[in-house]
Amino acid sequence: MRLPALLLAAILSLSLSACATRPPATDREAVEEFEANNDPIEPFNRAMFAVNGAIDTVALRPAAVAYRAVVPPPLRTGIRNALGNLRAPTILLNDILQAQPERAARTAVRFVINSTLGIGGLVDVAEWQFGIPGHAEDFGQTLAVWGVGEGPYLFIPVFGPSNPRDLVGTAVDAVASPWFWFGQGEVVEALRWARFGLTILDSREAVLDTLDDINRTSLDPYSTLRAGYRQRRASEIGNRNDRTPQSAIGSGFGVGPGDFRPGNPPPR
Amino acid sequence: MRTPRPTRRLLLGAPLLLAAFPAAAQMDTGRAAAFIQATGEELVRVINSPAAPEQRRAQVVAILRRSVDVEGTGRFILGRWWRQATPAEQAEYLRLFEEVLIRNLASRFGEYQGVTFALGRSQLRTEDDALVTTVVQRPGSAAFNLDWRVAEVNGQPRIVDLVAEGASLRLTQRSEYSAVVQRGGNQVAALLAAMRQQIAQLR
Repeated sequence: MRLPALLLAAILSLSLSACATRPPATDREAVEEFEANNDPIEPFNRAMFAVNGAIDTVALRPAAVAYRAVVPPPLRTGIRNALGNLRAPTILLNDILQAQPERAARTAVRFVINSTLGIGGLVDVAEWQFGIPGHAEDFGQTLAVWGVGEGPYLFIPVFGPSNPRDLVGTAVDAVASPWFWFGQGEVVEALRWARFGLTILDSREAVLDTLDDINRTSLDPYSTLRAGYRQRRASEIGNRNDRTPQSAIGSGFGVGPGDFRPGNPPPR
Repeated sequence: MRTPRPTRRLLLGAPLLLAAFPAAAQMDTGRAAAFIQATGEELVRVINSPAAPEQRRAQVVAILRRSVDVEGTGRFILGRWWRQATPAEQAEYLRLFEEVLIRNLASRFGEYQGVTFALGRSQLRTEDDALVTTVVQRPGSAAFNLDWRVAEVNGQPRIVDLVAEGASLRLTQRSEYSAVVQRGGNQVAALLAAMRQQIAQLR
């Protein structure tokens, strides 16, 4: 058997045997916790978490550390803003699908201002000069607003915490983005790869301190991330925060609007 | 949705903002906000103070004991395992819980140099506690939302939870501690051992 086939077989057998046992109905508090965790395939997810840890240790984290060390802060901020600007059509579409005309208008105005005055999105002029702050949206949130349940918690290596609803959302967002359809040829292809690579670097760099912190202080980082993800998603879906996390922070890669304000120095 | 800018200007404008909060029956939101404003300013002062680390740590311990419902929060976090613990385990747990809290706070002083915060909107959440929203700004990173859950404990406002970017610290930590207990064979002793080891590492 070749290696991929072996791997697939290993994953399949793991996932089949990997169901967390539901506590007896008499133990009300245990059942409550089981439901709050929403993690029926926890053993499988923990295995994936371990795989992710290995990949992160040898590749993703070092790359993010190097990115922070090598690329000067203003350029990193510019890259984050430009990536955020490229997400604006996606955010706009989801604003509309969630019937939020005011937020949609802000996203649209920001996209126009930042793409032009902001030099292709490198500078968030919309917030800096016009006081129009950005926000994030994705199709996972839209599905939630439409009343679609999240399904069981999933931890996916490299991608991070998720669930079936948010995975579908990510796929729809990718396909619904105009950048998925426009352009062809080697240059466009190269730009797509550059965006993909930068998105991974930017997202991992954005959570560098947070994840280091969790790994340092949590007695069980797996459950800390799981609890954090589900709560933060709930708050993102409800649009409850004054500030939107600027980059990935746990909802898959690249959902933020970018970030630049004077008096708000670029990330370290 | 209003988006307050976390600047010193806003800090100065905070008393005005406070006056605008409507009074509520149970945990008065105005009182809760004033309490968070005062406690936050105290913490910021300690974090930015040039005093020696041990001295600052002692100051933080004093602020914490005065403003946080350590016992209530600790019991909430241990959740369903509290009743299963022996009285001796409960006592040790609360002692370790406070120690972890203090060490985690103290170890973050470096990264929070120059921190400022501004009150956001304040709203009453449940019957007996208020959620005070703030936006925290530290040099070199983006502003983030930090909400403080304030409850009345023995007639005094006390912090019972922190909510960062929508994630409640006490809910997250309850999940974490419960996982440690369960993976340690449903024994609270396993959690206490892990906490002891953590404190030794943070020393």
